[in-house]
Amino acid sequence: MYCVKCGVKLAEGVKTCPLCATPVWCPDEAGEKEERTSYSRRYPVISRQERLTAMAALTAVLLAAMLACLSICLNMTGRVGWSFYVIVGTAAFYFAFLLPLWFRKPHPMVFVPVSFASVCLLLLLLSGYTGGHWFLTFAFPLTLLLAALTIGALALYRYVKKGTLFITGGLLMACGGACLLAEFFEHLTFGTDMFTWSVYAAVVFFLFGGFFILAGMIQPLKEHLQRKFFI
Amino acid sequence: MSKVWMPLDNAALIFPAIRRKNWSNLFRQSVTLTEAVDPALLQQAVNELMPRFPSFYLRLRRGVFWYYLEEVEAPPRVQEDYAYPLTFMTKKEMRRCCLRVFYYRNRIAVEFFHVLSDGGGAMVYLKTLAARYLTLRYGADIPPEEGVLDMAAPPDPAELEDSFQRYAADHAAYCPEAEAYRLPGKRELGCFFPLITGLIPAEVLHEKAKAHGCTVTVFLSAVMAESILAIQNQRLPKRRQKPVKITIPVDLRRLFPSRTLRNFALTVNPGVDPRLGRYTLEEICRSFTHQLAAEITPQRMAGRIAENVEPQRNRLLKAVPILLKTPVMRAVYNRRGERLGCLNISNLGVQKLPAAMAPYVERMEFIIGVQYSYPNNCSVVTCNGITCVSMIRSTQSTELERRFFSRLVELGVPVSIESIEEKA
Repeated sequence: MYCVKCGVKLAEGVKTCPLCATPVWCPDEAGEKEERTSYSRRYPVISRQERLTAMAALTAVLLAAMLACLSICLNMTGRVGWSFYVIVGTAAFYFAFLLPLWFRKPHPMVFVPVSFASVCLLLLLLSGYTGGHWFLTFAFPLTLLLAALTIGALALYRYVKKGTLFITGGLLMACGGACLLAEFFEHLTFGTDMFTWSVYAAVVFFLFGGFFILAGMIQPLKEHLQRKFFI
Repeated sequence: MSKVWMPLDNAALIFPAIRRKNWSNLFRQSVTLTEAVDPALLQQAVNELMPRFPSFYLRLRRGVFWYYLEEVEAPPRVQEDYAYPLTFMTKKEMRRCCLRVFYYRNRIAVEFFHVLSDGGGAMVYLKTLAARYLTLRYGADIPPEEGVLDMAAPPDPAELEDSFQRYAADHAAYCPEAEAYRLPGKRELGCFFPLITGLIPAEVLHEKAKAHGCTVTVFLSAVMAESILAIQNQRLPKRRQKPVKITIPVDLRRLFPSRTLRNFALTVNPGVDPRLGRYTLEEICRSFTHQLAAEITPQRMAGRIAENVEPQRNRLLKAVPILLKTPVMRAVYNRRGERLGCLNISNLGVQKLPAAMAPYVERMEFIIGVQYSYPNNCSVVTCNGITCVSMIRSTQSTELERRFFSRLVELGVPVSIESIEEKA
């Protein structure tokens, strides 16, 4: 039997061509012939049980550690005390870094925002517990800024296929801007001097960012850099 | 008694570093006999070969600075073949043995993790295994010739050496290469790799290659390049096109007097650049022939070996823990290893068998696994007048296979197709 489209000879009993999916019809063959494949029908069992078991064990160990800290602290001082920091910190660490490991293919666009949200919540609780007034004017906007930068960088590198140099340049400049804003929040909350350290950092970021954008625009420079940094 | 162990050879160093959670670099060689395989006798043959092939019955272990291979406690158990060849070998399996032996109907198949050997070395193991099995089954008296080793002789130290270290030149031959076109298609099928095998009369293929003034490997590579050029033309405008290059492994045993059974191969990447104009098949054949002739010389290859061996000999790098080395090696491989060719065409050439063995053997097959980022790969072996071209893929699309085999038919080469699964 031959495929009328590809012209290749086919194995006996096949119903369609493996190359082009054209149905095979042979007038001489009365009735159905059993297809004789060259491989068995045995499939390997591939389980993700090992990872899930490891994650479950790790979760149990962390929970046990948190409970142990709480009970020791209550026994010693009669109130939550220092165990609060341990419990909140461990929980934030778990949600920020360990939660994605439960999934086979954790999507960064889902888990990075979750990580930042858990850090934000941790800072809010710490601020409330210690009676500090630094959350709304300093920690929250700073975390938001870092989250925006990280998620933006992830999305751009992941979904925009071209213009890596422009993206890198733009992100470096955004980092420079973020430094200035961070110092502004610091000034607003703690009353420190405005624009001391952040100016130096911002100038460096702007210079590097500008250089990357320039390299993206000037083709010979881009090629020279590619040659020089070839691994 | 202390366990036998050996460091990885120079080519093998990269394979443990680049394996992923659902991919490792495996290849398979199989021999199809005229009658059904007896698993008990096959197991006996596998067991008996253990002292003769100490470099195959090994498991992968991790040291502080390097991975190494350690003797297994017991030979691997033969098992019924899976529905798909080259299913993923887990880390757990590698810690048990880097070798798997399968049987299915008339076929004996052996799958090797690439740290053990290359196609040339593995073929010696398979032939000796098949010869031993035939002796046990039929009492055939098969002499140690044509790649079958003498079972009674002790293993020769030359068979276990890392020939890269011996034949490296004093000076490295650095040669930056352009990136090749990446065939379309992402991994869709998890750990299962569908396979389409084309069976071609070796005589016809050889005549056709001769008519084009080239070898069979060059002829098949040129037809493959033509098919890839057509795919690229259909998908990309000319200004965005990239060179179409075929990665061809070169068995260095043909250039250097090495008898090693471990890895001793390098790859070359002949190609054509579609941005420079259109090419006929004759032009591609001619160009590939010249590119290979320029590249495959003992001096050039020794220089390339030196390039690979240099970092391994660097005292500073040696002292870096494996945990740090692994990500760096992986990054270098991602940057260079899989970007210089569109796919591999690995041709083991004509495999001759001892006259006493040939009547029991129908054909041989050779299958290399897909690379992590290539969707397709191709391997070729000729035995008993049949050239077996195996095309494996990690995607649903069979466009490349269809174009390649149809083009061969168009050129007057008859092709019989076998597939694991039918196309829906």
